[in-house]
Amino acid sequence: MVERLSPLEPEFHVGSHGNFEHGVEILLTETRPGSIVQLAAWPGEEKKLIAAIRAVTGLALPDGAGGGLSEGVKAVFGFAPGKFTVSDEAEGLAHAFAKAVTPAIGTVTDLSHGRTAIRIAGPKAEWVLAKFFAIDFALPAFPVGAGRSTVHHDVFAQIQRTGTDQFDIYVFRSFARSFWKALCHASEEVGYEVQ
Amino acid sequence: MSPRRTDTGGRIDRLKTIRFTFDGVAYTGHAGDTLASALLAKGVTLFGRSFKYHRPRGLLTAGVEEPNALVTVLKGEVREPNLPATMVEIHDGLVAVSQNRFPSLAWDVNAINQLGGKVLSAGFYYKTFMGPVVGPLKGTRFWMFCEHFIRRAAGLGRAGSAKDPARYERMNAFCDVLVVGSGPAGLMAAKAAADQGARVILADLEPRFGGSANWSGEIIDGAPATEWTRRIVTQLEARDNVRLLPRTTVWGYYDNNTLAALERVSDHKEQPAKGEPRHRYWAIRARSVVIAAGAFERPLVFPGNDRPGVMLAHAAERYANEFGVLPGERIALFTNNDSAYRAAVALKKAGAAVVAIADVRSDLSAEMRKLAAEAEAEVLAGYAVVATEGGKALSGIKVQRFDMVTGTLSGDARSIHADCLLMSGGWSPTIHLASQAGAKAEWSAARQAFLPPSPTLNSPVQHWIGAGAFTGSFSTAEAIAEGRAGGIAATGGTAAPTTTPTVQAVPGNPDPAPVFEIRAKGKSFVDFQHDVTSEDVRLAHREGFVSVEHLKRYTTLGMATDQGKSSNVPGLSIMAEALGKPIPEVGTTRFRPPFAPVSIGSLAAERFGDLKPERLTPMHDWHTTNGATMYSAGLWYRPMIYGHAGETVEQAYVREARATRESAGIVDVSTLGKIAVQGPDAAAFLDRVYTNMFSTLAVGKARYGLMLREDGFAFDDGTTWRLGEQDFLMTTTTANAGKVMQHLEYFLDVIWPELKVHVTSVTDEWAGAAIGGPKAREILASCVTGTAVDNATLPFMGIVHGEIAGAPVMICRLSFSGEMAFEVYSGAGHGTHVWEALIEAGKPFGLVTYGLEALGTMRIEKGHVTGAEIDGRTTARDLHLDWMLSKKKPFIGSAMMDREGLVASDRLELVGLIALDNQPLSGGAHIVEELEEANPHGSIGHITACCYSPALGKHIALALVEGGKARHGSRAHVSDPLRNRFGPVEIVSNHFYDPEGTRMHG
Amino acid sequence: MLITCPYCGPRDVIEFTYQGDGNRERPDPASQNFEAWNAYVYDRLNPAGDHNELWQHSGGCRAHLRVVRNTLTHEISSVAFARGNHAPAARRKSEDKP
Ligand SMILES: [Zn+2]
Repeated sequence: MVERLSPLEPEFHVGSHGNFEHGVEILLTETRPGSIVQLAAWPGEEKKLIAAIRAVTGLALPDGAGGGLSEGVKAVFGFAPGKFTVSDEAEGLAHAFAKAVTPAIGTVTDLSHGRTAIRIAGPKAEWVLAKFFAIDFALPAFPVGAGRSTVHHDVFAQIQRTGTDQFDIYVFRSFARSFWKALCHASEEVGYEVQ
Repeated sequence: MSPRRTDTGGRIDRLKTIRFTFDGVAYTGHAGDTLASALLAKGVTLFGRSFKYHRPRGLLTAGVEEPNALVTVLKGEVREPNLPATMVEIHDGLVAVSQNRFPSLAWDVNAINQLGGKVLSAGFYYKTFMGPVVGPLKGTRFWMFCEHFIRRAAGLGRAGSAKDPARYERMNAFCDVLVVGSGPAGLMAAKAAADQGARVILADLEPRFGGSANWSGEIIDGAPATEWTRRIVTQLEARDNVRLLPRTTVWGYYDNNTLAALERVSDHKEQPAKGEPRHRYWAIRARSVVIAAGAFERPLVFPGNDRPGVMLAHAAERYANEFGVLPGERIALFTNNDSAYRAAVALKKAGAAVVAIADVRSDLSAEMRKLAAEAEAEVLAGYAVVATEGGKALSGIKVQRFDMVTGTLSGDARSIHADCLLMSGGWSPTIHLASQAGAKAEWSAARQAFLPPSPTLNSPVQHWIGAGAFTGSFSTAEAIAEGRAGGIAATGGTAAPTTTPTVQAVPGNPDPAPVFEIRAKGKSFVDFQHDVTSEDVRLAHREGFVSVEHLKRYTTLGMATDQGKSSNVPGLSIMAEALGKPIPEVGTTRFRPPFAPVSIGSLAAERFGDLKPERLTPMHDWHTTNGATMYSAGLWYRPMIYGHAGETVEQAYVREARATRESAGIVDVSTLGKIAVQGPDAAAFLDRVYTNMFSTLAVGKARYGLMLREDGFAFDDGTTWRLGEQDFLMTTTTANAGKVMQHLEYFLDVIWPELKVHVTSVTDEWAGAAIGGPKAREILASCVTGTAVDNATLPFMGIVHGEIAGAPVMICRLSFSGEMAFEVYSGAGHGTHVWEALIEAGKPFGLVTYGLEALGTMRIEKGHVTGAEIDGRTTARDLHLDWMLSKKKPFIGSAMMDREGLVASDRLELVGLIALDNQPLSGGAHIVEELEEANPHGSIGHITACCYSPALGKHIALALVEGGKARHGSRAHVSDPLRNRFGPVEIVSNHFYDPEGTRMHG
Repeated sequence: MLITCPYCGPRDVIEFTYQGDGNRERPDPASQNFEAWNAYVYDRLNPAGDHNELWQHSGGCRAHLRVVRNTLTHEISSVAFARGNHAPAARRKSEDKP
């Protein structure tokens, strides 16, 4: 199998950067899931789609707008009415869903190459993300597992909170390097490590 | 006698010495000093020259409202002008210079302007820059010549031109309660709201929290106010639901409680920490806001009230109590209210002699007389100051009996020796934010001030609560009670009765006498920053400016950084008197953002320079390491040419295009918009969206489609591929990808919600490489596995799936260049891998990479349209695409496309042009029938795109020309007076090259 | 300004795109009624007061929303998905006048 090239490559510098002498408060990494799939249900078919997600991934989506969860190498969250993003470390998820999500339920769109997943973690993750996005990152407003669709200038982003101090950001591949550079820049004042 | 540092007192650290320079002279100050306090402590009284008259000016205030002492701070090559010295915290290495003086602050040649005072009166700029309408200079450029010098002489600081290397940031914040101002009211509000568990942000524009508690000398809860403040701040610091923002000016109040604030993060440091921004722009969305912004003391208007050494009473109190600086040794006061008496006592305590208190009121309370006695000051009740004396520093004042009811002066003027005069015209609440939020201020005759309306009158989209001096409650006890109540109310709670902290304060009635101006001979300033005098206001009135909004603009009263902070009420009172109306009927101007100047850098923040978002194709790095000159197309970067050493741009694209037509060329087309259109109704949807049919398209085939807008004009074009019965891949032009996506979403959401169709942007999912030319098929055949690419398997507009070098690919045979061509799509992560494999496979066949220039050249030769022709004004017919307009079905735009004006015979139509003089043509040039270089006229159209055509060996262009086809074979001229390009052209068909398409069909 | 998206919750106006007057009614696609098409494509209500507007949450869930917004106070009194909620009954021009 041909390995996928990361769009971050020339700007991906493993190690500690910025004002890290007083400790590193941000960890940045690219999670590189093998599969990123968008699932969308026809109005009224959302429950069947959620059941299909459970059948294929074993993930039981909680109710409610933007609900989601992540378990190990798999994650799912709602980002729009009837629409969900599912990711998995393994490739071929779109293929698996193609059978489970029948045309009567909705559609499957493979975005495994088209989206880049960047993970930001650490005590200052909320602080750094607040520099980019006009959404409330506080835990009560944005619980663990939940997803949000938002935008930083022209960079459209889907964000899932995958831990108290951890967020996975899905951005368009073409913007990924530019966004990554901006994220590193914004993390300098608190000290960051690229892993 | 001059100002000096006291031995004790103040919130400065006398053990820490800080070195800085002002106008090239080295000074020292202490940690906690502002530039103003540090210089004043060294006896500096002259801080600047006034705006119009270049009069010497000193400190009027100690805070953000300072109109006079504006300085420029230099950091390396970068200069930041117009900073109030009162807001500049000193640090080692600070370099500040004064402004608006030439050649030096002490000796300014423009001070002569004072003598020509009449010339520079109200409306001066309007009157002057219109130019003379009569006389010998009428219609000449003489005034434009003069303007240059006048503008240089009059004005604020000079902006720099060096690139600002500082870093700026934007921050988004959400909170339950935003508290603006950290005086006793704000502190209590923040504490009360935080105690309720609310998320609180407390912002203050000063570096020290506490507001008036820093200098009031009052006792709160049995402790000095400064100590009480420290206790509350320590409590707030320990809470994780509170964010404290010192040095943060809340400058804008927008809809739905969105507030803008500027945090000066590192201006007070010699060097910012690594990664630390200079300024941070906070966009704060607050559920509710407690405005505890305090009040500004107002000057009194009397002759010579601008002389250095004349300052606001509370400012002197601040310098003495907060900074340990006495602004003078022999201090006189002039007031219309009680608050000045506290200042008198404070300055006496700090070590100054208080020589006299002139009060416009003849009846003084016993309490005030007692305070005056405590200050050992002579009380001059029913007196006014009518003149000040001295040059660059005050040496004395003149007082005269004053009747407050009639405003008349009587008796002889008496001289009093003083080196500092403190004035107080009462207080105006800082209502700016409430005013921005749409609140209409209410005039209080008692306070002689505009007060914010009660919170119940808030606009439906702004929810704020006022507390403390902001509401006109000027005592600390009231401020504490209102702050606490406001903080609780802001969280939606109700205040339980409790004991509020006790306050020991100097007594005083908050209501001033309604006197702002003493009319006597000499210039009396209303707006110090703009040199607007009381006479200017009256002159404006005489000239017919009776509305406050007009008055403001005509006289410049309250403009620039002042924004009416100190000048508003005195100016209005003079206007009201001139109009013979009470102040509330005159009204006040509405305050607009920003409350105080905001750095442009903080607004631009991360949108600037390297941090600007950019889009890169999967093969970007290959292009840059293989000699491509990149070109920005919107946010995308695309190769323009792959130039060889010594080649010009034209030589490079001509070589690339020629090689493609002779053997083969490859170009990165990943930027094309790609939209997955999926669902049972996808085909039906596309039939409505495109002018031509897509439901008849077979799976595994692609079709060229055209979209119109609702109004019938052409919108976008591209090929759409049917990958499955319910699965289409639509491509759009690079520039219109986002617009087309929104267009489709709009129709699915709003117009046809019954259609089961999902659209998803998959632009970034696919890397695209278009390979074309006579050898293109052979190259593909040599590297593609899993499918054949021969004419039977892959006919024109056919699609096959296979692999290249192990990576899955999807190949569609379609052509933009006019050659036999294929678009090879692979997963974006495999893009470079597949691209390199194609390059490798192409080597034996002479494959070249080509960029946008060659792409454009070949499309012009073929006469294909792009955004240059689909410019929002052209129809399908104009572009000869009417063959694509299906008559079998309605589609978006079909109802409107046949309107009279859209089918008129004189519309501009697409044609080709050939330069008959064999010279390059220029984009945008007009086409004319009769050439007249000196008098260009009679345009019949314009050039949309042009190039040198290697295939034709001529300079050619596409153009939109009246009549279009009917002119084929006729001659015309290009007329481009801007670039001085005139010459004959032949009008031909837009299909210059291989019009039958034999090359691409093979 | 904040718009409360029914899916995403309150979001800053920078995430939204104004998509025009929400009072417009698109004629039947096959209709040749020029008056109706002209009204749909070009006529816009411009009331001083409550206005039916279409907004897209383009920087979020991308849903189109029907927003009733007061053009004088900027108060938003209702937000609903455009999908499943028809344009309000078209108002005659004369009704615009106060
Ligand atoms: Zn939304």
